[in-house]
Amino acid sequence: MTENAKLEILEKWKGALNKCIRCGYCYEHCPIYKSTRWEIDSPRGKLILLYGMLSGEVEPSDYVANKIFECFHCNRCQKACSSGVPIQDVYNDARAFFLDSGFDIVGTTSMTDHEVCARCLNCVRMCKHEARSFVDGKIVTDRLKCQSCGGCLDICPEKGVSITCGFGTNPNELIKQVDSFLNNPANPDAKAVVFSCGYSSYPGLQTSRYDKFEISKEYQILVTACSGRLKSHTVLETLERGAWGVLICCCPEDECEHGGSPRVKARMKALTSTLERIDIDPKRLQVVEVPQGNPGKFTESANSFIKEIRTLGPIV
Amino acid sequence: MSSVNIEKLKEIVGENNVLHNRADLYVYGSDSSVHEAMPDAIVRPENIEQVQGLMRYANSEKIPVIPRGSGSGMCGQVVPIKGGIILDMKGMNRILEINPQDGYCRVEPGVVDDDLNRALKPFGVFYPPTPASSCAATIGGEIANNASGGRSVKYGAARDAILAVKVVMPNGELLSFGSTTRVAASGYPLERLIVGSEGTLAVIVEACMRFVPIPKLRCLGIAKFNKLSDAGNAISEIMGSGCQPSMLELIDKIAIVAANKAANLGLPEVEAILLFEADGMSKEVIDLEMAKIQTKCEKHNCFGIESSYEEKERARIWAGRAKLFPALSKYDERLASTSLADDMAVPFSKMAECADKIHEIAERNGLVMTAYGHCGAGCMHTKILMDTEQHISWDAARRAVEEIYDFVRSVGGTTSAEHGIGLSKAQAFRKEKAASLDLMRAIKKAFDPNNIMNPGKLMDGPDNWVEATTLRYQSQ
Repeated sequence: MTENAKLEILEKWKGALNKCIRCGYCYEHCPIYKSTRWEIDSPRGKLILLYGMLSGEVEPSDYVANKIFECFHCNRCQKACSSGVPIQDVYNDARAFFLDSGFDIVGTTSMTDHEVCARCLNCVRMCKHEARSFVDGKIVTDRLKCQSCGGCLDICPEKGVSITCGFGTNPNELIKQVDSFLNNPANPDAKAVVFSCGYSSYPGLQTSRYDKFEISKEYQILVTACSGRLKSHTVLETLERGAWGVLICCCPEDECEHGGSPRVKARMKALTSTLERIDIDPKRLQVVEVPQGNPGKFTESANSFIKEIRTLGPIV
Repeated sequence: MSSVNIEKLKEIVGENNVLHNRADLYVYGSDSSVHEAMPDAIVRPENIEQVQGLMRYANSEKIPVIPRGSGSGMCGQVVPIKGGIILDMKGMNRILEINPQDGYCRVEPGVVDDDLNRALKPFGVFYPPTPASSCAATIGGEIANNASGGRSVKYGAARDAILAVKVVMPNGELLSFGSTTRVAASGYPLERLIVGSEGTLAVIVEACMRFVPIPKLRCLGIAKFNKLSDAGNAISEIMGSGCQPSMLELIDKIAIVAANKAANLGLPEVEAILLFEADGMSKEVIDLEMAKIQTKCEKHNCFGIESSYEEKERARIWAGRAKLFPALSKYDERLASTSLADDMAVPFSKMAECADKIHEIAERNGLVMTAYGHCGAGCMHTKILMDTEQHISWDAARRAVEEIYDFVRSVGGTTSAEHGIGLSKAQAFRKEKAASLDLMRAIKKAFDPNNIMNPGKLMDGPDNWVEATTLRYQSQ
């Protein structure tokens, strides 16, 4: 089949792409756009790209394919789109086209390092999206099904699973952001880090910077993908680097589509016990459920946490 | 024009701040208008020195430069009709200063409006233009476009809020216009000249704006009308009688249906509604203002007035109204909403006639058009809803746009209230400002002798917007 013939899979979306008024109101809902601030990383930019492919202005390429595969599937853009563009459905067909055409794709899909993989199949069993299977002695990721939630990274005992393009959500990237907040001389009031699930609700500036007087100087919001991805060692490192406390905001368990909420709760419960054993007040590590579309609850939780942390003071 | 030297651009702003892949160029070639065109490079400067370096290079090579915020403009202001370099100003996104004592804030141009207002809120103040696109629009874009919005009826537009700007001239020189003081009497107000210049004069690299206190109380009212002209006449009556609403919005039935479909607003699906708001520090004053507005509405046959101080309900209705522009695509599955004849301003006394005229012109040309807007500020919006894949729709749209602006001029109105001119309104703008076009060109030449700043816009925009660029919609 020629590429043009394969592109027909997208033809049916031409009407929907025409409906996109390109207002850009989806910007504020996209964690990937917020991370890079390049137009092509926004939902609008990706829809324009696909439109360009249909009109022949943009050639399908590895670069374009990767852009369409860079997505945490939080679906905020589609929920917020007043023009009613079925963004994820359009993306899914585009992804099928790119896979079918054999492009070299990394995207935000989680991938297994077969050299390291112990074949324990934990990731296959735990994946809520049935995106992983064991074929011919190897773990295979179904790129169309993978939601980039990172649950498989979390469960792999060999650290053999990774998401190459983390857009700020990979552990090393999170710690870098922790450092720049806690160890910034311009921000002496820094006290806590709030790790927020990217699928839950988090308020704050979308792309602007306000270095002198952050909205709250006392805590920094760092967005993970699914909160289940948050490792104990990331939390411990955050405390080691000077945080007085860590708050984790996750989705309510019945809303969590990736199974991360119960995992992060269980993991943090265990970590709290460890902290207690080394005389660190367990109140310094808290997990709270914040439903989608409820930034008020987020702010309320963060403020009440900070109030408690203030009374505890720094860890000595 | 020389071809753009990508290596030189990387030297000036760093490798990570330059894009030249065709896919990126295509994405940056359109905004929220019907137009698209290919730039030659995308550059994202991070500081003033980089902007200066870039302008020196572009000026020496006579390469067009198009400063761009979020690309949420509706008329093609940032569509690079002559190619060149798109300057993505989102790399300069710092809120530099909030000074409650002296009543101003200083920001870089890439700061998003909502972000600024979130930062201002703890100080009990807000930046007043509040366009519906505040979740995406940048301050630089708002200034370049002279944006206004729902609260402009009481608090004014970007031009009223601006105190000072820093700009990089096409030759790379950094200049400051205006003053941070509330009054500045003498000389030409160059900071205000930059407002509404749509990137044709210089690159805004810093802006200083005044803010206003957040009122303690706000009350929102909804008045229903069985005739669109009654609602239009009520606006005229309200604004002509000394009332001071903090918001006065007209929404016709087409827009009501679309908003209900998109945001489940539950607005009454009558011929027209007026959303009105009064704000202040005391309930007594607000109640008095609301009562005055209600009396004027009743005089023009409104019915079922409801009002509420409830903040959540007010926020819900306003959020729905703010999304009306994209929501219009939901009015009819077969039709897409296009940013054509998207805004205009007419005298209050002509508001009813204007609203009716929009529907009359739509019907005559076989199109669907809506009448809504911040009418208390004199601003009327419409959009053309049509089957964008049919060439015949574009012929009809072109006729409709021309007829609408002919009407607007005939009643003493003006081509743009707040969305700007860009490409799609250039024909109407040139007709309206025919006598002063040469003077405007002379001013541009004084700023930009090589005509590199966003060329082909405003007074030099095209007469035939349909053929000026590729349309972003494919038609048969």
